[in-house]
Amino acid sequence: MAQSRIRSHSTTYPLLILLIAGCGSPADSRWQDAQTASRNKSAVSREAHDGKDFNKFFPKDKAKEPWDFVFKQEKKGAAIADLKKDGKHVATLSITDTISEPEALEKFKDSTKKLVGCPMAEEGKLGTAVLVADRYQVKIRSTPNGLSQEEREEWLSQFDLIGLSKLD
Amino acid sequence: MSKTIFQLVDQLPAKNLTTRVLHALDWVVPGDPWKNLVGFENTIKAISGEDDQKLIQKIGERAIALYNDKSQGYQRALWLYQKVDTLQGMAGFAVLMSKIGDQVNFLSFLKHITPKPETTQCADLGVKLIVELLAFTTLNGIPGDSFADFVKSLSDYHDEALMRMVAIICLDGILPLGPDFLSKGLSLLSKSGSGALEKSERFKNVQEYIPGGAVAEKLSFLQKGMGALQDWVHTFVAARSLNTEKVVGNLQGFLQGVGSKLDYVTAFLDVATNYVEHTGTQTVARSLITRAVSEI
Repeated sequence: MAQSRIRSHSTTYPLLILLIAGCGSPADSRWQDAQTASRNKSAVSREAHDGKDFNKFFPKDKAKEPWDFVFKQEKKGAAIADLKKDGKHVATLSITDTISEPEALEKFKDSTKKLVGCPMAEEGKLGTAVLVADRYQVKIRSTPNGLSQEEREEWLSQFDLIGLSKLD
Repeated sequence: MSKTIFQLVDQLPAKNLTTRVLHALDWVVPGDPWKNLVGFENTIKAISGEDDQKLIQKIGERAIALYNDKSQGYQRALWLYQKVDTLQGMAGFAVLMSKIGDQVNFLSFLKHITPKPETTQCADLGVKLIVELLAFTTLNGIPGDSFADFVKSLSDYHDEALMRMVAIICLDGILPLGPDFLSKGLSLLSKSGSGALEKSERFKNVQEYIPGGAVAEKLSFLQKGMGALQDWVHTFVAARSLNTEKVVGNLQGFLQGVGSKLDYVTAFLDVATNYVEHTGTQTVARSLITRAVSEI
């Protein structure tokens, strides 16, 4: 009997230690699946356009005082810029290639609103986006107290969406 | 095993000696005080402005995927910020770094600190500035030797990136070398040549990513970067009337005795704080989350 107790302790404690060591914090666990799924994997499709291909479709010339425009990131599949008003950051504008993130297309599935024939969708409390040529997502995300929904739609209409639709 | 991006951001200290030193510099940029954004979910909420958990989950997952793809440059930027701020002497000061309460008796640590020679101060300053350029270009996707674009972008720096530049200017520039630190740094580096760089632990940590083959070429790159920054730094310092007394005065609030041993201060801050790594982690997280929000 004593021997079996010793044997069961000698297996229980290492198992307990393994169990405790293997558990991350509760905060970790919501991200673990994404971490495991994306390790050593490419997040960007080889066929995605370079970010610099999108630059010319931004409404840079429309950003006259008190507006200003600052490009922030130019990566494969994404071009991102800050829109400022009176020197204050009020929105982030972006053109991204959904070929790398096809789930982004979901939001446009049931769109009833259109801009020059392209489906438009709201995202959360602060975002409005347009899908061009079933592939390029043009998005404007306001800062809190930045732009109203109407202002976001107005800025989206200033992009060269027709030109973007012709991008090979 | 390397930490994940969400672990790195979750584990950023809310309050420690580094954050206290940074907040002691808030007066330099009163219109844009530094908010110490910590926690991965918290950072997503702050940058996206959203609190819907499904949206936060999508943003976080995309940010994780982008970070894990080495080709996107976010890991390299983080590595640069970490390595330039990792010194061998830090382990002995780990307890001090976590000190958040009351006064820190700076003078009691003097026996454990060796003041840095001026040439090493200059080399470290140059390396930190060049790491800022390299990390910026890696995060933003522009060519790595684009000094003009980097200098232009400085006028748009805000949040933790601006605080990092403030800290480099005040703690690595003005404190050891005075308000004219950049000219002095360039002059001393020119006289000392590659030797000064080779003695800098920070340089050795990050040299593989500094353009150039031999150390002399890397030095030339460093000098070019520092030279390109002169006008911007001069204007920044002059507009705020920054000087040694002001910087020391604000640190004295919680670092007792710091004013009496200025030649030890930078060496002390070297081993007791990691403000480049701390704010650099926040900058990488911001860049990732901004892109993730755009792409989902």
